[in-house]
Amino acid sequence: MIRAHALTKRFATEKGQSRVAVDGVDFVVEPGRVTGFLGPNGAGKSTTMRMILGLDAPTSGTVSVNGHRYAAAPAPLREIGALLDAHAIHPGRSARDHLRWMAASNGIPTTRVGEVLELVGLESVAGQRAGRYSLGMGQRLGIAAAMLGDPPVVVLDEPVNGLDPEGIRWVRTFARQLADEGRTVFISSHLMSEMALMADHLLVIGRGSILADCSMSDFMADHAASYVRVKAPALVDVAHLLSGRGLDVTRVDDELRVSGLDAPAVGELAFRHGLMLHELTLVRSSLEDAFMALTADSVEYHAATEGALR
Amino acid sequence: MTATMTEGGTLVVSPAATTAGFGAVLRAEWLKLRTVRSTWWTVLATFVLGAGLTVLMCWGNADWLASPEADESPGSFITWGMMIAQITAVVLGALVVTTEYATGMIRSSFAAVPARGRVLAAKSLVLVTVLFVVGTVTALVGYLGGNYFLDQEGIGMALEGDVLRSMYGSGLYLAGIGLFTVAVGFLLRHTAGTISVVLALMLILGNMVNLVPGTFGEWLTKLMPGNAGSVVSTPVSFNPDLLDAWTGFAVFGAETAVLLAAAYVVLRRRDA
Repeated sequence: MIRAHALTKRFATEKGQSRVAVDGVDFVVEPGRVTGFLGPNGAGKSTTMRMILGLDAPTSGTVSVNGHRYAAAPAPLREIGALLDAHAIHPGRSARDHLRWMAASNGIPTTRVGEVLELVGLESVAGQRAGRYSLGMGQRLGIAAAMLGDPPVVVLDEPVNGLDPEGIRWVRTFARQLADEGRTVFISSHLMSEMALMADHLLVIGRGSILADCSMSDFMADHAASYVRVKAPALVDVAHLLSGRGLDVTRVDDELRVSGLDAPAVGELAFRHGLMLHELTLVRSSLEDAFMALTADSVEYHAATEGALR
Repeated sequence: MTATMTEGGTLVVSPAATTAGFGAVLRAEWLKLRTVRSTWWTVLATFVLGAGLTVLMCWGNADWLASPEADESPGSFITWGMMIAQITAVVLGALVVTTEYATGMIRSSFAAVPARGRVLAAKSLVLVTVLFVVGTVTALVGYLGGNYFLDQEGIGMALEGDVLRSMYGSGLYLAGIGLFTVAVGFLLRHTAGTISVVLALMLILGNMVNLVPGTFGEWLTKLMPGNAGSVVSTPVSFNPDLLDAWTGFAVFGAETAVLLAAAYVVLRRRDA
């Protein structure tokens, strides 16, 4: 279990001011499920993860792993395994040697090195220098390193970056398996579609604040807007009828978007007033749309075109 | 081992907190050092330059040193190569620290061993041991080769007294300069910067302070780390005005200790 309390990180900027990267967040990452840590780039995901691992010191607040500060763990790799950055590896050292020094540092038997190499499918290339690895192989090595101490808590920062579809699928199954074994699994990503398939629980962060902390299904219900798409020959009449009932109706091209009533009710209403419909569809936005809506204000860098279109 | 049952009924086995002590961190740092090629190249360069140049200088200067017009002692030539070998010790000292920063490895290191002082201590101890052994062996081989030519001119030296001291003194000096560089490396976190700063301090600034006039200049010259520390690595120093071997080495040791303390303080405070 990971528990953060009023966790805050400020960085000094070049102009002598300070920028808040993580702003007094509170959260608990529970065992036995995959918790997705979602946020746009620059929202504070990596900073939060680095604070969990004691790499960055919080400006204020606390974060604990299994009830104590990470640095207080006598053999931290046995408590929490982390993939922070696939490049946190010396390019001139082989994968096996990288895992060997890590194992040695925490008193983990060397036999475990072979086991985790097999786990991630790198046995055949374990003797190669890590600098020759593709991005995907580097990610696998990072995951092998995370699993070295067979830890009850696993933290993966953007694990699917650079992976091919087969690798992405592997990470997804792997994360699920870890959670099913009762481990705490905390995975960050800026890829919403991937999260929708992987996570049971969501922690959404934007501009350093927690925007949502709920189950995936609750998140969809609360933030994934839905509307009923109506197409009809007499579109104006239908629009009139529905807005007369106090429903929120917007016309987009040749369709109406109706919210506040479900599709069968809209259909019945039209039928009773003798209006013919050509289409009646419930449209539910994706997690991606829901996420975009939620974090619209907190995205650090907008593309210029996006701003121009607004 | 402790086993906990979760709500889902799955059994999670978490290994009981086995304390990984300083010995574990030492083993890890030793593994790190010997599993990259740059270490072996640097050690080889230290040996070839250190021993080779000593032999070459003794071979080239033996008849002059034996002649009446010689104004230098053969004792200044018998560890001549160590003056150049110190450069590779600086490179090795820098690499063991700064490549971790350059590659991002340092985050793996501190995630595995959150007590950063231990990482600093283990890295230092492993490097000092390696450089001491390499430095001493290099000096001995250089002595054996160089003294062969000096012997032919009748000015050979026995392996005793100051000559013997300069053998392990060479090991000590290389170890010291490696440690000095480790401290600078943790402070600067940049390979080229670290190597430049240390070499400039040792080789260029160490000679330039000669130009500072008066007693102040004399003392500045004596106290510069390269000048103070290197006397122990030679039976007879080229510069007779420097501190004597052990006083100089103590000064150099104190300077290194101050830098290491600064590195430790910064290391604890700074985000990795």
